[in-house]
Amino acid sequence: MATKISIKELDSQFAKIRGLDLVIGKVVEAGEEWSEPVGPTPYPDITALRGWDQRILARYPPFYSPLSDFCEFCTYGKCDLTAGKQGACGIDMEAHQGKWSLLTCVMGAACHATHAHHIVEYLIKKYGEDHPIDVGSEVDVEAPLIRLIAGIKPKKLGDLKEVLTYLDNQVTQLTSATATGQEQSPIDYESKALHAGMLDNLALEVADIAQVSALGLPKGNSDTPRVEIGMGAIDKSKPVILCVGHNVAPGSEVINYLEDKGTYGSVEVAGICCTAHDLTRYSKNAKIVGPISRQLMFVRSGIADILIIDQECVRADVVDEARSVGTRVIATSDQVCAGLPDLTNKTPDEIVKALLTDTPAVLVRNPAKVGEVAARAAIEAAPQRKSEKGLKDEQVLANTSRCTLCRECTENCPINLDIGYAVNAAKKSNLEPLQKIFQECIGCGRCDEACPQSIPVLSTINAASTAKIKEEKFTIRVGRGPIRDTEIRNVGRPIVMGEIPGVIAFVGCSNYPGGNEDLAKMADEFAKRRYIVVTSGCAASDLARYRDENGQTLYEKYPGDFDAGCIVNTGSCVSNAHPIGAVIKIASIFAKRNLRGNFEEISDYILNRIGAVAIAWGSQHQKAMAIATGANRLGVPVILGPQGVKHRRAYLGRSEDNEKWMVLNARDGKKVYGGPAPEHLLYVAETIEETMVMAARLVMRPNDTPKGRMIKLSNYINLHKQLYGTMPDDVQRFVRAETDIPVTMKDDVIPVLKERGWKPIEIPDPTLLDRMVLRRE
Amino acid sequence: MSAKITSYETAEIRGPKLAFNLTPENCGRMLMRSKRLLVVVGGDALKMKVADGVDVPEVAARLARSLGGTIVASPGVFKAFQSVSDVKLINMGLEDAVNRLKDESWKGFDGMGAYDMAVFIGGLYYFQSMMLSTLKHFAPNQKTISLDRFYHPNATFSLENLTPDKWKAGLDAMLQLLEAKK
Repeated sequence: MATKISIKELDSQFAKIRGLDLVIGKVVEAGEEWSEPVGPTPYPDITALRGWDQRILARYPPFYSPLSDFCEFCTYGKCDLTAGKQGACGIDMEAHQGKWSLLTCVMGAACHATHAHHIVEYLIKKYGEDHPIDVGSEVDVEAPLIRLIAGIKPKKLGDLKEVLTYLDNQVTQLTSATATGQEQSPIDYESKALHAGMLDNLALEVADIAQVSALGLPKGNSDTPRVEIGMGAIDKSKPVILCVGHNVAPGSEVINYLEDKGTYGSVEVAGICCTAHDLTRYSKNAKIVGPISRQLMFVRSGIADILIIDQECVRADVVDEARSVGTRVIATSDQVCAGLPDLTNKTPDEIVKALLTDTPAVLVRNPAKVGEVAARAAIEAAPQRKSEKGLKDEQVLANTSRCTLCRECTENCPINLDIGYAVNAAKKSNLEPLQKIFQECIGCGRCDEACPQSIPVLSTINAASTAKIKEEKFTIRVGRGPIRDTEIRNVGRPIVMGEIPGVIAFVGCSNYPGGNEDLAKMADEFAKRRYIVVTSGCAASDLARYRDENGQTLYEKYPGDFDAGCIVNTGSCVSNAHPIGAVIKIASIFAKRNLRGNFEEISDYILNRIGAVAIAWGSQHQKAMAIATGANRLGVPVILGPQGVKHRRAYLGRSEDNEKWMVLNARDGKKVYGGPAPEHLLYVAETIEETMVMAARLVMRPNDTPKGRMIKLSNYINLHKQLYGTMPDDVQRFVRAETDIPVTMKDDVIPVLKERGWKPIEIPDPTLLDRMVLRRE
Repeated sequence: MSAKITSYETAEIRGPKLAFNLTPENCGRMLMRSKRLLVVVGGDALKMKVADGVDVPEVAARLARSLGGTIVASPGVFKAFQSVSDVKLINMGLEDAVNRLKDESWKGFDGMGAYDMAVFIGGLYYFQSMMLSTLKHFAPNQKTISLDRFYHPNATFSLENLTPDKWKAGLDAMLQLLEAKK
């Protein structure tokens, strides 16, 4: 908060002053100083961590898969960049892909930074700048990312404003670097992409600790309530308000209004995507319809009386789709005005009247007003709902008679589902193939656009699956927010020593190659194997939409602690800050490393010692790539599902290139072989088998103790044998000494090592940073 | 060769350099010239037996056997090759394999030198398309053939879009040609 001191005239024995205006940006109160020494990079600018980036990119160089052969960014173009050609501005394909990588990450970071701005400004307006940052009594390190990157310890909401200013500044600079005639080296583009990813992660934390502190969301307790999730969980007999997007402010105001009026129980408040998670964190009576893949399906059902859209992951056709089934729409964010008339300055009475009469879709950029308007309009509109609106299932299915089996729908499906065959089977009254498609469908609606016979294919898939939709009713453990410091104290040592085989985070969108079941099977396998499993966002929703062979959901099967054999739902997209924060806190709380402005050292620690891996099996949005890239800069590897290949870039190591796996031994400063651990920073896998084995491999770290490496190797070898039927080809690269070999596998492993000429190596105290060497010989 | 080349995924429209569209028999003739063959089998291979009636691991094994090639199988389908013992087999993800193929200094899985032809079969369409794009742009000297049922514009040579029956029959004819030559 700025303070202004004005002196019109001062005439004293020390000085004569006239017309002095003094503005002080921030007043630090006495006794509020943070004693932790400031590290080398508080508020790093876009080149401050370039040295660290170059180190990791030398080991994990970018691997590009261009989605197009052209550059179309300026009026010299289109330029053909195929196979080594340069464009008119001099750029080649590698640099062009680096530019795409940076653009993707900057888009993601800008989304989350804007989101953080919106929520912090809303909360400051409502609760004041001095509202304390409080994310739980067992959470002393309240903001690990802010401490690490910004070098400040936020105590109140107002303290977050300077972090937001930093984010604005950096995002602008990075965006500028993408213009024609600016950055030109692929590695520098990637360094900037890593910076964008780091900013993205920082923005996540700003947004989530603000809302946890001010809105009373769960503060790290493991046993949060269970709430309902699924298209079949929504009570159609009540007025239904559907919130889509990521910003909880408008939806929470709906709940506030209904609670004030004592009518909450008689109105259904539900959400899709991350707003849904945050609504359930705000109120256990709110419901989750599902992940982003259910957006178009549910909106088309016409069940919602009012659709509130806020920001991010809002379909570009959602207003038209909602209007076509009689659902009223309130857009609420300046990020998604959707071409609607701005009624923000009208009274609630006027807006409700407009919504119910001649203006059924409006923009209202005031969350409290949205709360009142949405609640009142939904209650009034519900009786007129046309929901059984629209066509009956039989009428929709009758459209299949026009199918000529041209398979345009199949050829347009992003995940290659054979929709054409299924629609044609429905034409012959066999609905089973369409019902199978429903389970795997990502709900994009591209099939509708493709059909030359104008069959509403997505609606047809839904109509064939009405019974399944009614059954789609599960429970999810509400997002708990932060990982408690007490939990970090319990698991820090076993994670760093490798005795807990690793932390596996299932994150990201729902753009899966074959439905959510694959994701759940992977999470189940790792929880069974006593990894710490963490989840958030659409992945967390999709884990709930699966029952094992005993009919249990994973949230029923596993506890919600941050501990071995548990599954932790942290919440929405912005709650991804907490698993990332947890690995930082391990370095801080367990290893006593200073966080403050000390990014390189902490990343070096994480890369070499903490066996954490994220799996974004259904990565779709630019935000997912930004989050992943931010995790990469911190030393956390990420595996993407096959659709992730369309992000165009991976960071791949080469296990056989021994020189790349040299580390400094901090004990004596010698350069020693640390092994390909982790082998990749960002990898795209084709199948769940590949993903699971890769995750078990990527949790290995040079610092693992023999016992820890033994446990990690045991899981790796076992999964390899189970899923591939063989001993890993590279087992010799991960055995450093015979004590690393799992006891029960010695008879299998030792002959293989002998055959492959294995020799033992020293287990180093590994670092990539010269300044971390303790003593030199 | 067909007069009109269309990609399988509608929006998979590429640039000026598109794969030559070959019949299976012509693919066979092209493959006969290979001295160092790598067969890259993708993660969708097993589904193709159910959907199209083509046993991709069997096709890959016959192909590698007839030309003395090496197979690199995506980990998700590697188990299907367990009964294949007379061909060099590598278990590796496509991204990892292509990362090596694009490196001109790479000496192959056996250290004997670069592969003069990489055959792709059994991949998820969009995934394989991107892997072929990597090679097209960053390893322009690496020749690739797609033997999948759908046209892959990013390969050097590709089959056209075929019906399952024509694909199966075409692969069979191609393999008989190669086996007869052997």
